[in-house]
Amino acid sequence: MHGENTQLHAERPQPICRMVFYTFISSEGEISLLVVVVDVNPIWWGQHAQSEPEFTLSKCLDAVMVMGNAHMAMTRTNQLAVIAAHCQDSHFLYPSKRLKGNDDTSSSRDGKYELLSVTNNLIAEEIRDIMSKTELTGNSTDTLLAGSLAKALCYINRISKEVGVAQEIKSRILVIKAADDCALQYMNFMNVIFAAQKQNILIDACVLDSDSGLLQQACDITGGLYLKIPQKVALAQYLLWVFLPDSEQRSLLVLPPPAHVDYRAACFCHRTLIEIGYVCSVCLSIFCNFSPICTTCETAFKIQLPQMVKPKKKKPKLPA
Amino acid sequence: MDEEPERAKRWEGGYERTWEVLKEDESGSLTATVEEILYQSKKRRVIKSHEQVRLGMMRHLYFVIDCSRSMDDQDLKPNRLTSTLKLMETFVDEYFDQNPISQVGIIITKNKRAEKLTELSGNPKKHIDALKKAVDTPCVGEPSLYNALSLALNNLKHMPGHTSREILIILSSLTTCDPANIYELITTLKSLKVRVSVIGLSAEVRVCTVLTRETGGSYHVILDESHFKELLMLHVKPPPASSSSECSLIRMGFPQHTVASLSDQDAKPSFSMSHLDSSSGAGLSLGGYFCPQCHAKYTELPVECKVCGLTLVSAPHLARSFHHLFPLQAFLESPTEKLLKNRFCQACQRELEDKTPVEKHTWSQTTEKASNRRMTLKTAEKNGEPSNHNSGDALLLIW
Repeated sequence: MHGENTQLHAERPQPICRMVFYTFISSEGEISLLVVVVDVNPIWWGQHAQSEPEFTLSKCLDAVMVMGNAHMAMTRTNQLAVIAAHCQDSHFLYPSKRLKGNDDTSSSRDGKYELLSVTNNLIAEEIRDIMSKTELTGNSTDTLLAGSLAKALCYINRISKEVGVAQEIKSRILVIKAADDCALQYMNFMNVIFAAQKQNILIDACVLDSDSGLLQQACDITGGLYLKIPQKVALAQYLLWVFLPDSEQRSLLVLPPPAHVDYRAACFCHRTLIEIGYVCSVCLSIFCNFSPICTTCETAFKIQLPQMVKPKKKKPKLPA
Repeated sequence: MDEEPERAKRWEGGYERTWEVLKEDESGSLTATVEEILYQSKKRRVIKSHEQVRLGMMRHLYFVIDCSRSMDDQDLKPNRLTSTLKLMETFVDEYFDQNPISQVGIIITKNKRAEKLTELSGNPKKHIDALKKAVDTPCVGEPSLYNALSLALNNLKHMPGHTSREILIILSSLTTCDPANIYELITTLKSLKVRVSVIGLSAEVRVCTVLTRETGGSYHVILDESHFKELLMLHVKPPPASSSSECSLIRMGFPQHTVASLSDQDAKPSFSMSHLDSSSGAGLSLGGYFCPQCHAKYTELPVECKVCGLTLVSAPHLARSFHHLFPLQAFLESPTEKLLKNRFCQACQRELEDKTPVEKHTWSQTTEKASNRRMTLKTAEKNGEPSNHNSGDALLLIW
């Protein structure tokens, strides 16, 4: 516990970041809810611990805690939630069940705002629990991102219902992604994106390693920001600068330009991106070449045969 | 309302003791039971649609709005026409949201004639603008079902076979003035596989019953404004495709979105038609979608390229239609008594409380929204999350 606290001191925002603490006062009674989804895939983090030892999962979570504290410190009505996305399930780091249990963790040792210290302690305890107790079964090494996003949406919906009709609530989701995309989650991902778009929830993406087409589409459709970080050690700086302001304030800032999103579809037979393709009218599967039977729904297609043209009878030439 | 053979009307049936269904709660109010009844009927309706039926995903729908004298009636506030047009705007939005690759056209009928308000197109803005302007049209004369249907038919019969051809009529008058025998037109509609549905605002009209029955559509008469909205929204979902509709491979293009180009070829493409959305406004812009076949530029998708005839869509538009093809499975209700110790909702971190008539604090209520929300919940389950190990199967799931 002490160790974690001292580490947090070391990560206090540097002077260059301090000027980023905006003093905008949002309209009375408007609640801003930020849900951070952190990818804690142990396989990816384990591999990167060897190649880049100065950026570990605990450093990443410290940066997330800094951003969470900043968000809650800006206005009293701001709310925070943190979800960790693991390989086979996802867990709420904050608020968690422990919040209700322990009422004696209130005294903070260094005079920090109580809510912030409780938050940080909870997050640290929960992630320690998760990383030590979760066992990996099966072969899949991909992060369960779509499920975590779905949980985030459920939580946002619950808070919106609890707050009631009188108060406005603005929510956004920030995804911190480490591992690569999983193509099997495409359908679920798209459902989550459309649900978020309907509810006016922004999805921002902060990508640590390789570009993710799914998250690019998510940010484009919902109106959020997508950023691939060039230097992972400066994660806290990027989080505070780019992802902390909410949507109203973003229009006043100069932020990284929107990424070029590739909306081309991938054909079902070769998985290559195509510009012109054939779409089955029954099951909407995409093919790059014409084939008489759809492989997904096994419908036989009607092929338009060219119509027979009757040869015109030539008029016999009259003998001269 | 009528099926073959025609069943007895409500007043011909037995004596119903409807008061026995309603039960008062402690404070004497009936809202709880009424809500429960509505809830159960909604549930039944959604469960019914979970069958493996081929759907018509690419839809061409013509709307026929009756603008006759009876639309001036004030039983829907402020008058029937304004209320109808307002609901239609919501309908157009929802329709293009659920069926992004479909098209809609609007026809109005009054004074024994029918005229087209908007052409068949996939751009929702055009339709909404036209609907807003149509509020001022005077309601005069009688509608003509025959003229409206033949006008719609003339356009629909040229559509390719794999699309679903539909007509939705909103009829408030009890009369119609037709130049020829409408029953012949009904047989023509049936042979061309056009599906006609009617929403009546006044009362049931026999010719509409026959029309919808022959063509395979639905006929409903509204009770009040909220019922009207409900009936309209029933038509947003794609209908089951008729068995004889052709299935074919449609050639489509997936253009790239270029944001800022430094080249000087920024002029908008010149179209053959006079007024289109891209030619209003400034005219020149930097980015857009370029057709992969002919490199004509467009600002929005989905669209049909005017130059080469290729349908241009983007992958999320097709993905939008997938949730009709893979519908969410119905949730299973299990009673609270089965939950032993852990009454905790995994999705939103909230305690599950007892089901009371007014407040339903369950998994469902916190995640209850449009069908989209049910989907997101299902994704959490589909991803193999065991959720609550102890009571995974005994969570109170009411959707």
